[in-house]
Amino acid sequence: MKVSHWICALGVSTVVACQRAAAPASAATELVLRTASVLPDDPGDAAWARAAVFVVPLIPQDMVEPRQLVATTSELRVQALSDGTRAALRLEWSDASADQESRPAHFSDACALQLPAKVAADIPAPQMGEPGKPVEISYWRAAWQRAVDGEPLTLASLYPNAVVDHYPFEAQPAHREIAEAYAPARALGNDMAGPGSAVQDLVATGPGTLEPRTAGDSQARGRRTATGWAVVISRSLPTGLVPGQRTQVAFAVWQGGAGEVGARKMRTAWVDMLREAH
Amino acid sequence: MARVYNWQLGREMSYWYPESRPQKQFAAVFDVNKCIACQTCTLACKTTWTSGRGQEYMLWNNVETKPYGFYPLAWDVNVLDALGEQRWSEGRYEGRTLFEAARAGERVLGWRPEELDYAHPNVGEDDCAGKVDRGHAFGGQHLAWFFYLARICNHCTYPACLASCPRTSIYKRPEDGIVLLDQSRCRGYQECVKACPYKKVFFNPLTGVSEKCIACFPKIEQGLQPQCFANCIGKIRLAGWLSTPDKANPDNPIDYLVHVRKIAKPLMPQLGLEPNIYYIPPLHAPDDFMHQMFGPGVKEAIAAYRHADDDLAGLLALFGSTERIVPRWKRSGEQVLGLEEDGSEIVRVPLREPVHVRAGYDEGRAILRTNCP
Repeated sequence: MKVSHWICALGVSTVVACQRAAAPASAATELVLRTASVLPDDPGDAAWARAAVFVVPLIPQDMVEPRQLVATTSELRVQALSDGTRAALRLEWSDASADQESRPAHFSDACALQLPAKVAADIPAPQMGEPGKPVEISYWRAAWQRAVDGEPLTLASLYPNAVVDHYPFEAQPAHREIAEAYAPARALGNDMAGPGSAVQDLVATGPGTLEPRTAGDSQARGRRTATGWAVVISRSLPTGLVPGQRTQVAFAVWQGGAGEVGARKMRTAWVDMLREAH
Repeated sequence: MARVYNWQLGREMSYWYPESRPQKQFAAVFDVNKCIACQTCTLACKTTWTSGRGQEYMLWNNVETKPYGFYPLAWDVNVLDALGEQRWSEGRYEGRTLFEAARAGERVLGWRPEELDYAHPNVGEDDCAGKVDRGHAFGGQHLAWFFYLARICNHCTYPACLASCPRTSIYKRPEDGIVLLDQSRCRGYQECVKACPYKKVFFNPLTGVSEKCIACFPKIEQGLQPQCFANCIGKIRLAGWLSTPDKANPDNPIDYLVHVRKIAKPLMPQLGLEPNIYYIPPLHAPDDFMHQMFGPGVKEAIAAYRHADDDLAGLLALFGSTERIVPRWKRSGEQVLGLEEDGSEIVRVPLREPVHVRAGYDEGRAILRTNCP
């Protein structure tokens, strides 16, 4: 698609380089949620240099249809900090193309982290939980980040040369409510129609069961790096995760340019995450 | 995968969910021979449902010229090519359906149109299948042909869009068989866009979810035909309810055309979706093309249509005669009646339109009249 290539090229040219000192990759077998006085919300913040990098291999989601049969993103570099009330995780991965639009046949780059809804020994299935054992998911999308960063999604932004003769709801101010009728997803409160944030809070009890998590408080900021993406997602600490205790966390990455969306994704197994004692 | 019965194929087939037919199935018959591609149906739908931002390119209803018109581009060519050989044997389909031919890791054999594939809804319009040599048109019948194919969602018995959605955001209403996409549940994965072979699901980039034809269900619920039916000036369409062949009722106009007289055929039944929009095939297109497009029995359908008796001709006269859905019908001599389920009359049309001949010279006004045929 020539149009999209042109748009992507523009996006790359305006990338904010994400500079930081490289933190050493740890040989540890679990992710440590380090204690910090202040949680950096920007992936380029120098504070991340002090957090150990935990490298998690990604595997194709090949358990449920539609399956991801081709391995793309190979690994995720994860760092984790907590200020005692919230956890911030920095996710970094390689992705040569910046895909920041969801359009027909085009998908946005994205990532997600997943935690069991309860800190318990009996953990849910890593593939989006299971009935009776929900998981909480924070889902970041590059397209939403772009909108948050000041490039709102409009017809003109997607198709600069598009011309529309007339929208019925623009005929008179009194007809504004008609616009809602022609955007039923928005009228029904579907977050996909304009999340107003770069991240969604979701809950799931198995593949295909994603629902909005109204009690969620995730925040996220993603930046394009020289080789891919770096995203910081923060959220409240899991209830009951006291210092010195472990829970699990899992991750997923989507390369929009490779047609990855929904179940077509690279994912991790559960990763043990230890909340630092002090 | 479950095993389900697809009567259009004359056999069982694999489908993602078990067979679960609705209490009633919305269905329709389009008489291709009456369509003039005026696109009034297209605009009736467009102004009713898809005038919003992000819907600019969507045509839930479109009319394309066959063989070179497509919306989106090459929708039928692509899916037929992907499916490979499609063999029928004595009314039974021996090839694979889109569900049976699904590749590893997929639920349906599909393909995804690019954006530009939607950019030319009138590509190929009025293009003939062949060249008409100079002067040939004056020599009587010539071999070049085209016809207009009006298309909406087929509200299939086995929808590929529904099967492909990993979130079960698409559902088939048990009360009328209309296939709807839940706008509050969809997350915009576009699996349905890829899976629907008729390409009647569209992604709205400004709401982030997909949308599709809803068969004007608010009208259906009031006993009215959808907008693209009610506004058709060629009166090519009749909406109603379709039974399975074993329960065909000759008093039901759709059953009569599809099951009893067998003059209305599904669009590409070999794909396996059991589509519920039926077409009276064009009279003048090549047999092979018709067989590929409408399955077996097209020649017989055309023969019956060409030599329509008073019952068949009478029912065809009911098309476009009322906005109400006509669940029952009967011919009474020179009149054809559209009836409610309880037998009450909805509409009455003459089997033959009366011919009025005026005198060429109007004595009262002392002027000459021109009589147009």
